[in-house]
Amino acid sequence: MMALLASPHPPTIFCALSCKRYHLGPRIRSPPPSLLLLPARNLSLVLPRCADGSAAAADGNMEKKDEAVPPTRPLESEKNKQPHQQQQQQYHHHEIRDGSVVKAQALKFEDTRWVGGTWDMRQFRKNGSTDWDAVIHADSYDSAANGNNGSDGSCGQQMWQQWKLRTTAAVATEAADRSSDSGGSSRGRLLVAEDPAVLSLNSGRNYTWSNNGRKLWALARSSNSFLMTEEGSVHCICGGGSGRKHRWRRENRDIKNLKKLFEEMTLYDKQWLATWQDDAPGDSKN
Amino acid sequence: MASLSTTTSTAAGDSLRSFAGLRRETRILRGVAAADAPGSQLRRRQLGVVRASRTSPRLNGRKLRVAVVGGGPAGGSAAEALAKGGVETMLIERKLDNCKPCGGAIPLCMVEEFGLPLDLIDRRVTKMKMISPSNVAVDIGRTLGPDEYIGMVRREVLDAYLRGRAAEAGASVINGLFLRLEQPEGPGGPYRIHYNEFSPAGGGAGERRTAEVDAVVGADGANSRVAKSIGAGEYEYAIAFQERVRIPETKMEYYKERAEMYVGDDVSPDFYGWVFPKCDHVAVGTGTVTHKADIKKFQAATRLRAKDKIEGGTIIRVEAHPIPEHPRPRRVLGRVALIGDAAGYVTKCSGEGIYFAAKSGRMCAEAIVEGSENGSRMIDEGDLRKYLEKFDKMYWPTYKVLDVLQKLFYRSNAAREAFVEMCADEYVQKMTFDSYLYKKVVPGNPVDDLKLAVNTIGSLVRANALRREMDKLTL
Repeated sequence: MMALLASPHPPTIFCALSCKRYHLGPRIRSPPPSLLLLPARNLSLVLPRCADGSAAAADGNMEKKDEAVPPTRPLESEKNKQPHQQQQQQYHHHEIRDGSVVKAQALKFEDTRWVGGTWDMRQFRKNGSTDWDAVIHADSYDSAANGNNGSDGSCGQQMWQQWKLRTTAAVATEAADRSSDSGGSSRGRLLVAEDPAVLSLNSGRNYTWSNNGRKLWALARSSNSFLMTEEGSVHCICGGGSGRKHRWRRENRDIKNLKKLFEEMTLYDKQWLATWQDDAPGDSKN
Repeated sequence: MASLSTTTSTAAGDSLRSFAGLRRETRILRGVAAADAPGSQLRRRQLGVVRASRTSPRLNGRKLRVAVVGGGPAGGSAAEALAKGGVETMLIERKLDNCKPCGGAIPLCMVEEFGLPLDLIDRRVTKMKMISPSNVAVDIGRTLGPDEYIGMVRREVLDAYLRGRAAEAGASVINGLFLRLEQPEGPGGPYRIHYNEFSPAGGGAGERRTAEVDAVVGADGANSRVAKSIGAGEYEYAIAFQERVRIPETKMEYYKERAEMYVGDDVSPDFYGWVFPKCDHVAVGTGTVTHKADIKKFQAATRLRAKDKIEGGTIIRVEAHPIPEHPRPRRVLGRVALIGDAAGYVTKCSGEGIYFAAKSGRMCAEAIVEGSENGSRMIDEGDLRKYLEKFDKMYWPTYKVLDVLQKLFYRSNAAREAFVEMCADEYVQKMTFDSYLYKKVVPGNPVDDLKLAVNTIGSLVRANALRREMDKLTL
C-alpha cells in the first residue's frame, strides 16, 4: 500500500473515482459501520490519486487523511488548485501504455466530442466498432488537463456527473437523505482494487484495460453511474437523482472462495474417515 | 480333536482369506457361512452383527501373542490391558528413560480412569492465562472446582509408571529398537518382527532378534516405524519446539499453579506459545505447522513475550518433536493397529495427545482381548476395526469442535483477539474446562449457547473492525 501511495505517476484513469473515494474515506458519518467489515484490501489503488494528484498533492492528501477530517466536498479543491500547475507538467510526463496521443486540451472545457453531457460515441468509432481506448484516454486526459472541479463540466464526465447529481439531488431530496452527499449513489461505496476482468495493474502505475473492462466502463459512463472494481468483482454503482441505490456486482472469485471454504471445512472429516474407505486391492494381508 | 481343529482352521482359513481387504460386514457374512453352525449363523444374521472372532480358529495350546512397539502412554496402557486380559504381550521400547519433549499436561479424567497415583503429578495447574497478540491477558480457570486441575507430569515419570504396571500385569518389557516387520505368509500366519535388543548393561548396537507374533500394536509415536512398515500413509505434522528454563525461585512462585498460553502471529501462525510449569523449571515453547523453518524466530518471540517473567533464567534443555495434525490415512491394516501419536490422535487447537494415546491403547487392547476371547483365539482385522469404531465414535465430537475452534480463531491476529476476549466469559470457561477435563462435549443450556454464539460473532466482528482501525492508524 505504501508503495502505491509513493508512486509519483498516478494513473489518471482513476482520477475522478479516486478523488471521490478519497473524500469519502475519512468521512465519519457514512458509510455505516457494517461496511468497515468489507474487505478494503487495495484501498490504496484508488485512494489519493486525483487527476491532479501529483506526488505533492498525494502527500498532502495523506496527511489530511490522518487527521479526523470533516466531510469534504469534491468541490473543495483548494488543495487541488495550488499544485495544479505542477501537475500539468507532471502529467505530461505520464505515460499511458496504450496511449494514443491526445493533445492536452485548453484549460477551458472545450471539446467537440463532448455532446450533451457525455462523450459522443460516434467520434470513437474505429473499424466499425468503438475504440474504447480512445474513449478512456480522451476522458482522462480531459480530466487531467482541465482541472478537477466538476462545476463547469471541465473535469471529465464522471466528475461532471457527480456534480450534477449532487446539485440535482440536493434539490430533490430531503436533508436527511445522505445519498446526495455521495452523488446520490448507494451506501455501498466500496473500495476499489483490481479485477483482472476489468483492468490489470502493471508495475503499480499503469493500467491496462481488457475489452470487457472497456465496454463496462463505457457502459457505466453512459448510464450515469460509476464503475468501480474490487478484487474479484466489479461494481457498477448507479447514481441517480434522488439517491436511488443500486449496485450490480459481478463476482469472479466468490464462487471459488466458497468452494475452497467448503473443502477446508470438510477436510478434517475426510482425514478421519480415510481409514474407513475401501482400500486398494491387494492391500491388506491377513 | 486335532483333526477337528485342523478342518475348522482350514475352513476358517478360507473364510479368513475372503476377509482380506474387506471392510463391509455383509461380505464377511458371506465368507463366514461355510464354517459355522447354523444356529450361530442364524443368530448372527438376525443380529446383523458379525462376530468374526467366533469363527476364528482356536489357538492350540498357546495364547495369542501381541507385540506392542513403543513404551509411551499408549504402549504402556495397551500392554497392561493386554496382559490383564490374558494375552501374551511383549512391549518393545528403545529408551527406557526417554524424556519425550512434551507439554506434559494431563486432564483429570486420565487420573481417574487410569488410576494414576497423585504423586506422579508435579504440579496442579488451576489458573491458566491466555495472552492475546496485543498482550491482553485473560485469566481462565475461575470456574474450576477446588479439586479440579490440569496435572503437569514429567513424561519420563509417567511412561515408566505405566510400563511398570504393564510388567506387573505380565507383559515382558524389552529394551529394544524396532526395525521392521514382515507380513505373514498366509492367512493366520504370524508376523515376524525384527528388532535390536539392547543389553541391560548398555552400550553397543544391541543384538538382532526376531520374534513371531500374531498381532502388532504400533505405539511408537509420531515417526512410527510400524506405520511405515504397513504403509499407513503420511500426515501433516506440527513441529513443537521447547526450551526448559530454570528460573529463580521468586519467579517460579508465579508459575506455581499457573500456565500461560500466548497467541499471536509473532509467536506462531497456527499454534500457540506456552509457558508450562514443570517440577522445578518451566517449559517455554511454541509450535507451527506451516512455517517450520521459522520456529526459532517464533521461539524468540515467545521468550520475548514472557520476558519479564522468565528473566534471569537459564536454559537447561532444548528439545523439539513432531506433533501429528490429523490421523493417518490408515490406522489398521491386517492384524496391525496404530495407537496414540502413531495413529495421529492429537487434537487441534490445544494439541493434546497424552490422554488420547493412553485411551486408544486401552481401547485397542480391549478389542484384541475381546476378539480373541482372552487370548484363546486368533483375531483378525475386524476386531481391530472395532477399536477404531469405538474410539472414533467416542471422541470424534471433541476433535471436530477443536478443529472448528482452530479454524475460527487461529486465522489472524484479529481472530485471536476475539478468541481471548471470548475466553474471558465464564460460560466459555466452564464449557472449555468441562470438555477438557472430562472429555465430554456436553451441550449446555441452549439459552446460554445462543448467547455464546452471538457473543462469538460479536467478538469476531469487533476484532476485525478494530483491526481495520488499527491498520489505518499504523500506516
